[in-house]
Amino acid sequence: MLGRRLGFAFSPHRVSDSSGNRHKVCDTDTFEAYAKFSGAKVTVSPIDWTWKTLTATVPELLCGDSAVQEATQILNFLRKQRFNADYELTARQGADTMAYIALLEEKLRPALLHTFWVDAENYANLTRPWFASRSPFPLNFLVPSRLANIALSRILLTKGEAPLHRITEVEGKIYSDAKECLNLLSYRLGTADYFFGNSPTSLDAFVFGFVAPLYKASLPSSPLQSHLKQLDNVTRFCDNVLAVYFSSDHPCPTPPVQETMDANLQKLTQLVNKESNLIEKMDDNLRSSPQHKPHRPEPKPSLASDKSSTPA
Amino acid sequence: MNVLVVSLSLSLSLCLLVCLFLTSTAAEPWPETATLYQPLKEDQILLSDCASSLAVQAYLRMCGLPVQVAYRANAEYMSPSGKIPFIHVGNQVVSELGPIVQFTKAKGHSLSDGLDDIQRAEMKAYMELVNNMLLTAELYIQWCDDATAAEISRPRYSSPYSWPLSNILAYQKQWEVRRKMNAIGWGGKTLEQVYEDVSQCCQALSQRLGTQPFFFNKQPTELDALVFGHLFTILTTRLTSTELAERIKSYSNLLSFCRRIEQTYFEDKTS
Repeated sequence: MLGRRLGFAFSPHRVSDSSGNRHKVCDTDTFEAYAKFSGAKVTVSPIDWTWKTLTATVPELLCGDSAVQEATQILNFLRKQRFNADYELTARQGADTMAYIALLEEKLRPALLHTFWVDAENYANLTRPWFASRSPFPLNFLVPSRLANIALSRILLTKGEAPLHRITEVEGKIYSDAKECLNLLSYRLGTADYFFGNSPTSLDAFVFGFVAPLYKASLPSSPLQSHLKQLDNVTRFCDNVLAVYFSSDHPCPTPPVQETMDANLQKLTQLVNKESNLIEKMDDNLRSSPQHKPHRPEPKPSLASDKSSTPA
Repeated sequence: MNVLVVSLSLSLSLCLLVCLFLTSTAAEPWPETATLYQPLKEDQILLSDCASSLAVQAYLRMCGLPVQVAYRANAEYMSPSGKIPFIHVGNQVVSELGPIVQFTKAKGHSLSDGLDDIQRAEMKAYMELVNNMLLTAELYIQWCDDATAAEISRPRYSSPYSWPLSNILAYQKQWEVRRKMNAIGWGGKTLEQVYEDVSQCCQALSQRLGTQPFFFNKQPTELDALVFGHLFTILTTRLTSTELAERIKSYSNLLSFCRRIEQTYFEDKTS
């Protein structure tokens, strides 16, 4: 099952994630991915809070005295606590992040809700048993159908054209929107590992949170899933994130917390490294040039740079 | 053998004919009588409808397609999707910006043909950002802020109708919008949070626009039309509080962007 829950032993934060409430499956995964990208140590506790979460929202982040809910707000909270995966982005890329998140919310979410909650076959074979198995006795009859009703009314209210429209009239539209959205993501991702170059950002966390459940769940019927599986780069992206950030073999391959907290220092060291590489290269050139003996053991960099100016 | 060839060529020519017919209906020229319908301008239309309508008008003007604007008190009920605005072209009726863009594209008028795949993805993403943030914020302020709803939205919305019906329709609309807000999680937001969202959205748009004349440099696209429609309407509409317009006014490049589009596409027609 997706979103394997990993616990880190000495952690100041705790996340309550009612696994009985899979309605927010996207949000929880988004958040977890983000926490891992930014190197924050977080315990994810899949507590069965079905009674409590009948009214409350998940995921919820508990840190000290404060509790934060909903993926976007938790991400903001983590940012304030200096666990930020977006340090390296320019302002323009930050704007792009917002825009793509809006795209996911508007185009992909309705189709995902429909796939998991409204599609009769998926609901009966996958979602309902999954939820019922995690809820205590009297509630396991109520919770799934209640959540299914919420999902259905959300789709109808946001995508239904006139009040009292039936779901069949909306289905075609939301699925074509969702397919278009997946295509656009695929174009945007191209051949890169992550959406903004080599390191993951909050946009990657959001995309992963939306796409991975669709990719990994064994749905009995889903045209959207088969469409997704044709988009090689998006599925590769999901596999990659799962392997690097969610596999139990290397629980936390993210850079250690201090490094992410001090990205500027990191940049500085990178610069210094680059420069020393350059110096070495110059050194090599000097050594291979005829007026120097190749066997000289260790020329001093200062000497080398002095001499590099003379032959030119 | 001969018979086969003859029948093959026959079917081929038939195919050609059908294709010709299809393309000719799709590429039917834009008629002079194309009409855009929206609610009464002076005393009925609300901020969000006005913004959507202006966006469509800006888009059609950018395409160079003439359209007459007709004001009808029952425009909302005339529209096939129940949303404002809709256009009536030849014997077809299309509503909302997205479908209208597709419709004009089928007629051979498109603004986004010059973009590559990644740029088109970006354009779609920003359009969803505007719909997700600005449009929702407009609806929220109109119907969920009690002062605005009581002073402006309900009286204006129900202005064409007489007493018992006016109240029923206005409250029904308000109830509908509030249900929608609850479904997308905006129900619990305060007005201040909504203004903050608008600010964030404008900041993103402002960053994306930078110093370029349009979002994708020289050529206007449907994104420019949509952004213009919303920002210009917010800037020029009087509400109970000027806070919403103030939030936008702090981004100078968005202001000059609105002015530029207004001058290029709207002023020469009126003078």
